[in-house]
Amino acid sequence: MTMHDDSNLQLLERDLTALAAPREDDERLRLALRDQLAATLPGRPRTRSRPRRRSIRHPLGAAAVVAAAAAAAAVALVGTGGSDGPSIASAAIVHHTLRAMTPPANAILHTQVVGVQNGVTVVGETWQETTPPYASRGLKGSPGHLGEFADNGTTSFEYDPTTNTIQEQPDSSHPTFADPVAQVRQELASGQAEETGMVTIGGASLYKIDLPHGLVGYFGMADYLPRYLNDPQRDGSMVRLRVAAYQYLAMTPANRALLSITAQHPRARIVTGGGAAGK
Amino acid sequence: MNANALAGARPMRARPGDPDAELVAAARADPREFLALYDRYFDRVLGYARLRIRDRATCEDVTSRVFTAALEQLGRFRGEGSFAGWLFQIARNAVRDVQRQRVTEPLCDERVAGDPSPEERVLALERAHELHALIRRLRPEQQHLLALRYGAGLPYEEIAAIVGSAPATVRVRVHRILEELRLRFP
Repeated sequence: MTMHDDSNLQLLERDLTALAAPREDDERLRLALRDQLAATLPGRPRTRSRPRRRSIRHPLGAAAVVAAAAAAAAVALVGTGGSDGPSIASAAIVHHTLRAMTPPANAILHTQVVGVQNGVTVVGETWQETTPPYASRGLKGSPGHLGEFADNGTTSFEYDPTTNTIQEQPDSSHPTFADPVAQVRQELASGQAEETGMVTIGGASLYKIDLPHGLVGYFGMADYLPRYLNDPQRDGSMVRLRVAAYQYLAMTPANRALLSITAQHPRARIVTGGGAAGK
Repeated sequence: MNANALAGARPMRARPGDPDAELVAAARADPREFLALYDRYFDRVLGYARLRIRDRATCEDVTSRVFTAALEQLGRFRGEGSFAGWLFQIARNAVRDVQRQRVTEPLCDERVAGDPSPEERVLALERAHELHALIRRLRPEQQHLLALRYGAGLPYEEIAAIVGSAPATVRVRVHRILEELRLRFP
């Protein structure tokens, strides 16, 4: 602390004001908390409405989307008041997890999820633009048998590695950002996500967050990003999805190329489909 | 969620001069309108918490708790005082709760905006930590006043309305707190 002149309290006032000075990520926090409040309101109005648009296909299919969505729901800020609610520490961890999973604007969200479906290892990997036109590219399938698709907002693409062909289809119904966090913010009314402890998986210390409907998420203690999702099945079994990648990439030319199927396969033959059918 | 119960809330007494009266009335009629109050007060509540609490995560947690509680309890807000006064009383209670529970606050990654060099940043952090420690040694009502003034950034007139004193009295009290702080920190 600096010496304060007896005749002048301005330095002290300046230091006091600095304690509460705005931070870089205040706006992100404001929006995150706002969404959580909105999700608890009757009618759950969309605070940042987007027109209804087609969804980007998720590499692991609907089940994985549900699992990821539920996991994201788990990171909703829960009510911390009252003796029946989770502890402040628990709520803070859940809160920080939500913040970590709130994508920044003008970035690319890169995810890679690995799971086992019917005894077969399935990998899903996506790169998604976090702002319009929400261009995306994804890979899905078992190792060695990956399908690849993309969407740049006006055209959808599918790559066939057996013929080295890209099938493109004009499509004017703009895609949405298939961010599971955005999807499940509308489902946060339950507010029942709760951090229930710390576990070690694969040598990594993780926060365990119990989610509504039996799902469990495991999140990094340093970055609060998802590492594993336990998804209970109807037959009583549990499927564990490993989140091999969950990162935000800067919108550099090199990273932007990750969104383009033609950039990834510059020698592929391009076949243009007819019509402007949606997906 | 108590927001559903807002439709059955008791009639609110109109308080002349409360700049939030219309927004509060709208929120009581339709809880979705509460978001306008949230937008208006988010920065001030966060600033209030930051002045009184060093730990960044706890500040954010307190801010969230304040608005969650305000939304849930808006039906019980009778309008006898200002909305701001009511809201900052919730904030005051939330801070009190966390200060009771936390014997020590963890070190945090507080940052002071505009520090151009690592050395200056370290010095600013030290200043901030020491100042926070001093603030914690003040009486709760003193902390409250200081946070309203320098955390929430409210003018003396608004603080006076919140605490139920005359602006001149508030100004004197804040000045005395500053003097006390300075004496403890030569």
